Amino acid sequence: MPGPVTRRDLLAQLGVTAAATFGASAAGIGFAGVARAQEKPKGTIPDKPFRIGHMTFFTGPGAVLGEPMHKGNLLAADEINAQGGLLGKRKIEVLKADEAAGTDANVKEMRRLKLSEKIDMFMGITSSGNTPALGPAAEELKLLTIFIDGCTDFLFDKAVPNPRYVFRVTNIQSADGSTCALAVAQTWPDVKKVAHIHPDYAYGRNCYDHFSIVSKKLIPRAQNVSEAWPKLFSTDFTSHITKTLAAKPDLLVTSVWGGDYISFYKQALQHGLFDKMKVATTLALGTAPHAIGKDHPEGVLAGVHANYHFSYPPGNRWPLNKTFVEKYKAKFNEYPNFQAEGAYTATHILRTAVEKANKLTGGWPDDDAIISQIEGMMIAGPGGYVYIRPDNHQGYKDAITGFSKNVPEYPFPILDPARIITIPIRNITAPPGWPKGEPTSTYTWIDQTWPTVKQA
Amino acid sequence: MDILVIHLFNALLYASVLFLIAGGLSLIYGVMRIVNLAHGNLYAFGAYVTAWVVGQALAGAHPVILYLLLPAGAFAAALLGAILEPTLLRPFYRRAEEYQLLVTFGLLMILEDLMRFFWGPYPLTATSLFEKMGSLKIGESVYPRYNLLVISIGVLAAGFLWAFVYKTRFGVVLRATSQDMRRASAMGVNVNRVYIQAFTIGCFMAGLGGAIVVPGQSAVLGMGVDALVLAFVVVVVGGLGSLEGALVGALIVGIVREFGVSVFPEVELAVLYLIAVVVLLVRPAGLFGRTA
Repeated sequence: MPGPVTRRDLLAQLGVTAAATFGASAAGIGFAGVARAQEKPKGTIPDKPFRIGHMTFFTGPGAVLGEPMHKGNLLAADEINAQGGLLGKRKIEVLKADEAAGTDANVKEMRRLKLSEKIDMFMGITSSGNTPALGPAAEELKLLTIFIDGCTDFLFDKAVPNPRYVFRVTNIQSADGSTCALAVAQTWPDVKKVAHIHPDYAYGRNCYDHFSIVSKKLIPRAQNVSEAWPKLFSTDFTSHITKTLAAKPDLLVTSVWGGDYISFYKQALQHGLFDKMKVATTLALGTAPHAIGKDHPEGVLAGVHANYHFSYPPGNRWPLNKTFVEKYKAKFNEYPNFQAEGAYTATHILRTAVEKANKLTGGWPDDDAIISQIEGMMIAGPGGYVYIRPDNHQGYKDAITGFSKNVPEYPFPILDPARIITIPIRNITAPPGWPKGEPTSTYTWIDQTWPTVKQA
Repeated sequence: MDILVIHLFNALLYASVLFLIAGGLSLIYGVMRIVNLAHGNLYAFGAYVTAWVVGQALAGAHPVILYLLLPAGAFAAALLGAILEPTLLRPFYRRAEEYQLLVTFGLLMILEDLMRFFWGPYPLTATSLFEKMGSLKIGESVYPRYNLLVISIGVLAAGFLWAFVYKTRFGVVLRATSQDMRRASAMGVNVNRVYIQAFTIGCFMAGLGGAIVVPGQSAVLGMGVDALVLAFVVVVVGGLGSLEGALVGALIVGIVREFGVSVFPEVELAVLYLIAVVVLLVRPAGLFGRTA
């Protein structure tokens, strides 16, 4: 029998890396967004525009995530159209639809887009409340779909367990809570008393569950001393902050995001919360990187939805990111978030799949040919490699998080370039063939297969 | 002990803002018998205008000037109300209530889109006002001084409003119109003028609520609808059309919510509606409501 597993061993096994390293060459892997010599497509290609129905939040508080998603899609479409369109012939047209209409209306709108507007593809979606309804509808309509977000594990665990037409590009939700907990276990292994503030809906619950199960394995001595569940899109956290302070925790874990998070940290500052405890977040810098002020404390575990922050990979280390950020900044005068990166990558996944399918079949490939190319595709996006698993159509890229830091180059905090934490995604998500579980497959997988550490 | 004091402050803070919103809603209903569903977005409008004005003036302006700009949102909301009442609402007084609900609900959505059109999808903040005042030391804890300012404004507003309605001639006219519009009209009251004044005051209160909230929080899309729902909880508890009801309702909701967040975090959202359910079962017209 081997001895008890230490935290250090388990973190090493899971590949949790706290350094700004990035390896591997891109040989043989498709890549997004870099201009390259266009090969002549095989066969005759119609010049009919390729229509993408892009549904996301354009109104309401969710627009803070929806607008950048749409912009990422537009930027990629512009790049492709500048080369004549898909296969040099079919220009991409993006039709907008507002996700804020509500789940039932969204399903109707998806049908209308397919049947009346004759869209060739559906893209977008921010809310985890919408993908489980739209996924089955897309399958029924036989509508090629890449969800950008709506990242609930439930979509491919339960709602569409055997997807054919539906894909999703950003990391699944469980990765967020797990990444946060692993970063805490690595950085602050001595925390004893943990408080939680999460928005009271699917995402907040999911973060709480996965943070809890991972911390149970890696920091088993930590106790839960306070919970608060504010309403999503509320901007008043006074009571929740008072409750948290009263419990005197060492660490606060929060998945509050967007405008909510901005209000939260401003109020927490005035209540002196950041002086009294460590703070770990899942989406602090993820929503809109430029929306956080320099008054935000440094050294906060500042999550980016375990997906992407425009400052990483930095400089020219990953040229795709450099050009993406520059183009996006030039076109929209702001910095891209993970939604923008997701939509941009998804549009280039489409382009790559169409080009590959054309080489095999000639002419304009049908949906089946495109789908078979997306399944199992490994593509380099601005944030790194994305792998589309063929069994569940879910995109996987290495999870990332880091610590807030102010640098002179930006008028807002970014991830501390010296302390980026990356985790290979396969080590924190349920593998192919793992039985469906409650509340998520990843949760039961962690619960049943990860050892509980005995010592540091 | 200090935590208890802070809990109390939190409850008063919540109640102050809620009173401004629900008080305005109730005043408008009391006088005009119209349920103004757009009220929530007049609150949001006040928040956006203050955040925008403070943001514009921020570069190098003296802090005192910034604080003087705080009520800008209240005046803007009042002005908007003064325009909306005669143009959009007046033609519908003689129609069935459903029309008024449809019109004001439509207005709620139009205002939401206009705010998005002018100020974009991202949150608008005026946090410098919140930060400049710093925090007060209470025992071992600290508490934002700005929150105490909000509480004071809430208390002052309640006092002024009471004096206005019960101690001035205009208040008499207002109450008379509220009790019997036809008879007041027969006695020579210019009902149209009273309506526009009442509506403007109601909107001013909502706008003031938004204006004082925005430094500590932020102006975000959707805040109006949330505020509207909470205001309805308050008026259901207190009784629609009653200012005392709005005050007591806001205090009850503020205290119960603070208690709920601390003790029953899992059902924080449900607690407020449970109060409303209980009041509706026991006193359907609300604590201070007039039974028809």
